[in-house]
Amino acid sequence: METKIGIFLCNCGEAIRNIDFAATKEEVAQIPGVTCVNLSSNLCLKEGKEKMISCIKKENIDRVVVAACSPDFKEHFFRQVLESAGLNGHLFSMANIREQCSWAHEGDVTVKAVEVIKMAVNRARLLQPVKKKKFPVNREVLVFGGGFAAINAALQLSRVGLRTTLLEREAILGSETVELGSLCGFDISSMMSEVEGDENIEILTSAEVTAAAGKIGGFTVRIRKGGEEISHKYGAVVLATGYQTKLALEPELKSDINIVSQEKLCRMLEDPNLEIRPRTIGFMFDFSDENSRLSTLATLNNALAAKQKWDSEIYVFCKSVKVDGPGAEKLYREARDCGVVFLKCEARPRITADNGRVKIEAKDVFLGEDTILACDLLVAEELLLPSEGTEALSSLLNIRRDSRGFYQDENVHLYPVASEKKGIFFVGGCRGDLDLSRVLTDVSSVVVSVYELLSSGNILTEVEKVKADPQKCVACLTCIRVCPHDAIQLVRVDGGKEVAEVFDLACDACGVCAAICPAKAIKFRAYRDEEILAQIEAIGES
Amino acid sequence: MNGCIVAFCCEHSAYPAADLAGKLRLHYPENLRVIRVPCAGQVDVIHILKAFENGAAAVLVLGCEDGACHHISGNTRAKERVKYCNMLLKEVGVDGRPVAMFNLSPNAPHKFVRAVNEITKIKKESGR
Repeated sequence: METKIGIFLCNCGEAIRNIDFAATKEEVAQIPGVTCVNLSSNLCLKEGKEKMISCIKKENIDRVVVAACSPDFKEHFFRQVLESAGLNGHLFSMANIREQCSWAHEGDVTVKAVEVIKMAVNRARLLQPVKKKKFPVNREVLVFGGGFAAINAALQLSRVGLRTTLLEREAILGSETVELGSLCGFDISSMMSEVEGDENIEILTSAEVTAAAGKIGGFTVRIRKGGEEISHKYGAVVLATGYQTKLALEPELKSDINIVSQEKLCRMLEDPNLEIRPRTIGFMFDFSDENSRLSTLATLNNALAAKQKWDSEIYVFCKSVKVDGPGAEKLYREARDCGVVFLKCEARPRITADNGRVKIEAKDVFLGEDTILACDLLVAEELLLPSEGTEALSSLLNIRRDSRGFYQDENVHLYPVASEKKGIFFVGGCRGDLDLSRVLTDVSSVVVSVYELLSSGNILTEVEKVKADPQKCVACLTCIRVCPHDAIQLVRVDGGKEVAEVFDLACDACGVCAAICPAKAIKFRAYRDEEILAQIEAIGES
Repeated sequence: MNGCIVAFCCEHSAYPAADLAGKLRLHYPENLRVIRVPCAGQVDVIHILKAFENGAAAVLVLGCEDGACHHISGNTRAKERVKYCNMLLKEVGVDGRPVAMFNLSPNAPHKFVRAVNEITKIKKESGR
């Protein structure tokens, strides 16, 4: 059947001035298959939308081409217009005659505009509808970890009505969080009792994962606990495995009792039976690891506490003080006001043990001189590392890690809590150095994302955007190897043959598999080869 | 196609960069024709060769920055394919038809214009 293409030209409220729309209209009306051409100046406003819908219905158009702004800007809007006119949203193609035509060139660009529209029409002729389908999903969530982030995430997930399982490797929940609680001054016990009393939360301690398979909506996870293994299905997985710290010290200094970690200093500060109060304390951070948000906060807090409790002289050696957390700037000013001295050094200071004291030699950049300090106690620099087992877990779940070994966000700015595999999320320290307020933000965004996915029990998604033809597939596994989202698997079809199948829920429609398939068995519906070739054919016709 | 440049632009990086170039009124040669693709890794050898068959003077494949590909490794695949394509063209003796891959981010309109200018320069040098 011959397709009926409707072209809608829009001059974007007269923002496109160097295209002769009357001539363009005349010319594009000559293209075979084009039923009607409409000229408008406000296609994306209410009147334009209504006119478009009535025209589609009246002329019985089955393919729509809009020649106006960039598809990045309005494609989604026009797809919805098509759907309200009773057409499939994918039977739509856009010609960018504004950003990449009118605005990018000086002088009259009517010829180019006509050609760009011809390209879009050629593509539109070959477009195929993409159907939507509902997939059932499992409404349970698995949370890895037992720390502050994990407990918070489990509590909030349970609050929105999703059954949650907390899986902790240690024998008790929050063993390290209790210490952190005393460090940062919050009470974790109420949170713990709440999580233990919650009927919607199942707690598995001393448990570990031995195998994981499946995709979003149905991850099958094998959990070993106390000698027995169980297998269970979860709709989504949240990783909150946290971080660990390590002192960045030369090996010979590690046994020095006058060199301590932030945590040890906290305990000393709380100890009522401490015999000798250190009179001079040195702190160090931001030399080996640029990501020093947490050690900066710990230093500021502890320096203030030591000043108030012991009235010690405090010197802080650092490259720069990074105060990007809420309240951090205030803490820094407070510390300076009560006499904490900050020394900015470019190179890492030299530390030596010196008759029961610690000698620090550094070059201050502002004084320009070598500074030597003999202190009673040195709080050493801490390195932030992913917790043990991060590597094993990431290979089990098949997700990537960044250069420092932490889980890699899908997009650092746009989707910081999502992994590249749909349905797997990260919160807190396992994805980098985050202070508590940032961890809470993470928890909230993960809960919203998980709720969006699982709350209704099924997900509406476009199906067969990318489809492998079982007749042509030779099961060479190339697509399975290249798929960045792990969305392709082998399935057995009638006749015992194994072929590749794209799992629509996990697929992000990038088309890498379609381009690489040696047998040309995979078709990418929204950008089929024919469509791209047809666009190329239109170039230079005029 | 009388000497057009065909640019395959990844919708996550190069296409928004091209839009931004227009918004900033950064002018580039008028003979550029942009084809929007979901990922540079989706551009197949056949697409590039077809462009040349239709008379394109040069082909650009524009994808995300190294290590920042929206689809993780699409840009590296595209680079390999462009390399392979150059080899093919050389083998069949139509050497001198420039195919080039550039990496850019969505907020880099200047880099987009530079890429277009660069390929135009190569095109002129090869006498097309």
